[in-house]
Amino acid sequence: MARNLVPFLVLLFWISICQAASIFQPISDSHRYAALELFRPTDGVFGSLEETYEVLRTFDILGIQEKPDINAATCKSVSEVLGSSAALKDLFYALNVNGVLKCEIKEEIYESITSRLRTVLNDARSLSEFYYSIGSLLLLKEQSSGVDLSLMDADGIFQSIKALSQSDGRWRYSSNNPESSTYAAGLALEALAGVVSLASSDIDQNMIGTVKNDILKLFDSIEKYDDGALYFEEKVVDAYEHHGPLATTSSVVRGLTAFTAVTSGSLNLPGDTIFGLAKFFLGIGVPGDAKDLFNQIDSLACLDTNRVSIPLILSLPATVLSLTKEDQLKVRVNTVLGSVAPRLTVKIVRAFLSGSKDTSVIEGEELKFDTQTSLHILEAFPKTFDVGNYVFVFEIILHDSEQMDIYATGGRIRVPIYVSGVVKIENAEIAVLDSDLGSIETQKKLDLVGESVVSLSANHLQKLRLLFQLATPQGHGFKPHQAFLKLRHESGVEHIFVVEGSGKQFEIILDFLGLVEKFFYLSGRYDIQLTVGDAVMENSFIRAIGHIDLDLPEAPEKAPRPPLQPVDPYTRYGPKAEISHIFRAPEKRPPKELSLTFLGLTFLPFLGFLIGLLRLGVNLKNFPTSTVPATFAFLFHLSIAAVILLYMFFWLKLDLFTTLKALGILGVFLVFVGHRTLSHLASTSAKLKSA
Amino acid sequence: MSKSLVVFTLITLLPFLCYAFSPENPTDRKVLVLLDDFAIKSSHSLFFKSLQSRGFHFDFKLADDPKIALQRYGRYFYDALILFAPTIERFGGSVDSAAILDFVDSGHDLILAADSNASELIREIATECGVDFDEDPAAVVIDHTSYTVSETEGDHTLIASDDLIKSDVIVGSQKIEAPVLFQGIGHTLNPANTLVLKALSASPSAYSANPKSKLSSPPQLTGSAISLVSVIQARNSARILISGSLSLFSNRFFKSGVQKAGSPTKYDKSGNEQFSVELSKWVFHERGHLKAVNVKHHKVGETDEPAMYRINDELEYLVEIYEWSGKAWEPYVADDVQVQFYMMSPYVLKTLSTNNKGLYHTAFKVPDVYGVFQFKVEYQKLGYTTLSLSKQIPVRPFRHNEYERFIPTAYPYYGSAFSMMAGFFIFTIVHLYNK
Repeated sequence: MARNLVPFLVLLFWISICQAASIFQPISDSHRYAALELFRPTDGVFGSLEETYEVLRTFDILGIQEKPDINAATCKSVSEVLGSSAALKDLFYALNVNGVLKCEIKEEIYESITSRLRTVLNDARSLSEFYYSIGSLLLLKEQSSGVDLSLMDADGIFQSIKALSQSDGRWRYSSNNPESSTYAAGLALEALAGVVSLASSDIDQNMIGTVKNDILKLFDSIEKYDDGALYFEEKVVDAYEHHGPLATTSSVVRGLTAFTAVTSGSLNLPGDTIFGLAKFFLGIGVPGDAKDLFNQIDSLACLDTNRVSIPLILSLPATVLSLTKEDQLKVRVNTVLGSVAPRLTVKIVRAFLSGSKDTSVIEGEELKFDTQTSLHILEAFPKTFDVGNYVFVFEIILHDSEQMDIYATGGRIRVPIYVSGVVKIENAEIAVLDSDLGSIETQKKLDLVGESVVSLSANHLQKLRLLFQLATPQGHGFKPHQAFLKLRHESGVEHIFVVEGSGKQFEIILDFLGLVEKFFYLSGRYDIQLTVGDAVMENSFIRAIGHIDLDLPEAPEKAPRPPLQPVDPYTRYGPKAEISHIFRAPEKRPPKELSLTFLGLTFLPFLGFLIGLLRLGVNLKNFPTSTVPATFAFLFHLSIAAVILLYMFFWLKLDLFTTLKALGILGVFLVFVGHRTLSHLASTSAKLKSA
Repeated sequence: MSKSLVVFTLITLLPFLCYAFSPENPTDRKVLVLLDDFAIKSSHSLFFKSLQSRGFHFDFKLADDPKIALQRYGRYFYDALILFAPTIERFGGSVDSAAILDFVDSGHDLILAADSNASELIREIATECGVDFDEDPAAVVIDHTSYTVSETEGDHTLIASDDLIKSDVIVGSQKIEAPVLFQGIGHTLNPANTLVLKALSASPSAYSANPKSKLSSPPQLTGSAISLVSVIQARNSARILISGSLSLFSNRFFKSGVQKAGSPTKYDKSGNEQFSVELSKWVFHERGHLKAVNVKHHKVGETDEPAMYRINDELEYLVEIYEWSGKAWEPYVADDVQVQFYMMSPYVLKTLSTNNKGLYHTAFKVPDVYGVFQFKVEYQKLGYTTLSLSKQIPVRPFRHNEYERFIPTAYPYYGSAFSMMAGFFIFTIVHLYNK
């Protein structure tokens, strides 16, 4: 199932890359630039000898003169390969390269290779052995003069190659490999062609006839695209070497042309088949892969010189023609490689507007050949020719009827052509109408070409009407593909209406009463934009007409909400505003001077107390006179001072726990000495009283 | 013995073979390319070559190849996927749209190109990424005012667009002068999806319709709401590129000249090559992928990170940010990286200053509110990966002995207390010993 899908996908892909499906451009300079860009030697060589051969062959066919200089390094590896007993494949490509570069190889080497190839050929069992050895012998025939290369047992070799063929025209790679391959068929045909040209005596014509039948059978399995391109595809996917459609088709084309070149008699292959193959190769465009480019160019070169029929490619330099610039219809006919075609006439069978097949605009007109530019030119379009999307049907008529067999012209070729011109825009006006009466409230003329803008206002009971006329250069009505009226609300909600027209006249009436719901009850300013465009309209435009202020009723509760508008990505990100923390303000404090003043004031009562004491004339006569009570009294007051000092320290640095500890010790001492002192004083005063 | 050794080495190496983009091992990336046809490999070779020259390894497979697989036993074989198979209806092997979305969900990148005949499968994958292609299968983007002047393309579906996203990180710092050629289908972005961005938009006059049939109702997609190429950066930093045109990446478009209708300048080469190569650099994380390392904070004048801060401390916050350049991590330079000091809501939000060598730095005072705070860097910038760093740190109030001890205002109270004590001392002496 999946495999069956591939051709289909290939098909879709080709269609997608070659948009103008039926127009194929022959090989042009873009291929040459691509070749020069793709094939760049590294250190003076192009990789392997196989790659080198492909490069040289491609350059040769494309006629590129400024080849990179690779001779020295490549010739060295060529003579190395030829001098050694390298693999057959390498030998084959070395000889191929030598054929182009003409390196200096000694005759003895050629002789030893020849004898080696002969032994290989005698024991050959697999197709690749046949292919490479016969191919190498053919190349030796061109390159050396002294060696005898004719094959004695040509019939035998022919038959052993033929023995590998299958009933459906495909070939097997070797007798013990049951899988048949289309790619192998190409190789086999090439090998057979080699045998025929190397044979010392003529090959049996019957055998050649069966091979020709095989070729026809092979072409029964050809695949087809919608655009008429034909190609071969390898049926077996898991063959030990898988080849894509391009490589397979290319191999078959090489084999076919080689075989038909050496055999006489015609092959009953229709010219259209060859033409279809040419379409396939040209449809690829410019491949980006070196191998693909070689396959494409080499196959096209084969087709260009083949004996079945040479395809002629009809191409148009321009399929978009402007009536205002008075472009001429030009057609070029080339061979696939872009060389000049034989004398012929291009005839427009008919031309019609796409969509109206029955009415032809041009019928049976021959184009004039301009020898200088080798273009076929339609001198002038008929007077009534108008803008539009046309389909032209061309036919190539060869002057020499004998050449009809040599060239394939592809029959009738349909080419879509766009004829563009300036469309006249007239009588544009915009008006606000009253709904029930249809009377015109405000009407403004519009100049759709200029810059002027209108400003209108309407409520939901009114209508907006836009009118304009479009006419082709011939004065007919013109219906553009794109005629949109766009109302855009401030919030970004857009509403698009198609402006319908009949004939020249285009008219749209927006009845706001019916549109209230569609407008989501959004009142406000709507910008009006008109877009008119078509593929054949050279003056397509997008124009801001102005704006309308709509006064719509309030939205009921269950009204639909306007859709979400996309957020602008540029404003979504970006740095945020900085935030700095606002700290709690410190409490208000009076100035330090005030505190100090009050500090001074707090000492005043103390001073007053001291002065008072002095005034009263205090004395200390009661202080104990004897030593022991005097010591206790002294210690008592000292410890009071110590407690006060402790309080002082508590304020300055100590914490509560240290202070309480010290106070406990001091307190006990204080109580003890205080008790002694006070009891002494009390006994003294009691004595005094009793005395 | 030697065989088991090989197996063992392979098993140990397996984790390093490939993985999604990770800051630890960003190089050596394997890309699976699924194609409709191998011809795309050749017709889009310039695009692939530019990626190969930047060190990507491709594995080209047909999309319906029964052997394709993205993962086995939970381990992905590839770092990225290029889907150049717009018409594929069903993938071969075990791959389906869910497998591709899982692939993206695990942080891998995706480039998807659709075309005018895009299949349901491709549309479904795109829809899951927030991109809605026009539902009409025959519709293509048409623009009658900003098309490419061409002698062979007359239907105005070959669009020259120069409305690129204004982001140096996505489309490169070098300005793309020439318009980008586009031929394919348009899409809109889901407005609710904030991760998806329009990389290339259509002009206001564009619309999406079938060019061959007359329009009777307004087209679904019109104007600059049409996105031609979109990019998505998922929350896990997986990046996705969705293009409505496969030919945008083709050699033909890369090489072809372009002249926009109505403009006199003709460019020899379209902007496609620059655009797609630069976009691929972004998608494959060669630009705009940030990493943050060495997040540090400490008190001013110290170097060690404390376990907690006290209110009103002065602190410094440092972070190093680097950007992956495809080869190495390079210092990221910007002036909009911000740090938040956050508890339920940001208390401090400051822009970091950089030394242009990747180090970002700022200093601020801890607010006088205590609780468990976070240093948060939520860096979001158009096109860059999101940096989301957060580091928790508690903030405590003053201890009892950390308050001010000698308040001048209270001196009169102290003074009166002490003068009282002194008076008491003298009074005891006078009272006891006066005669």
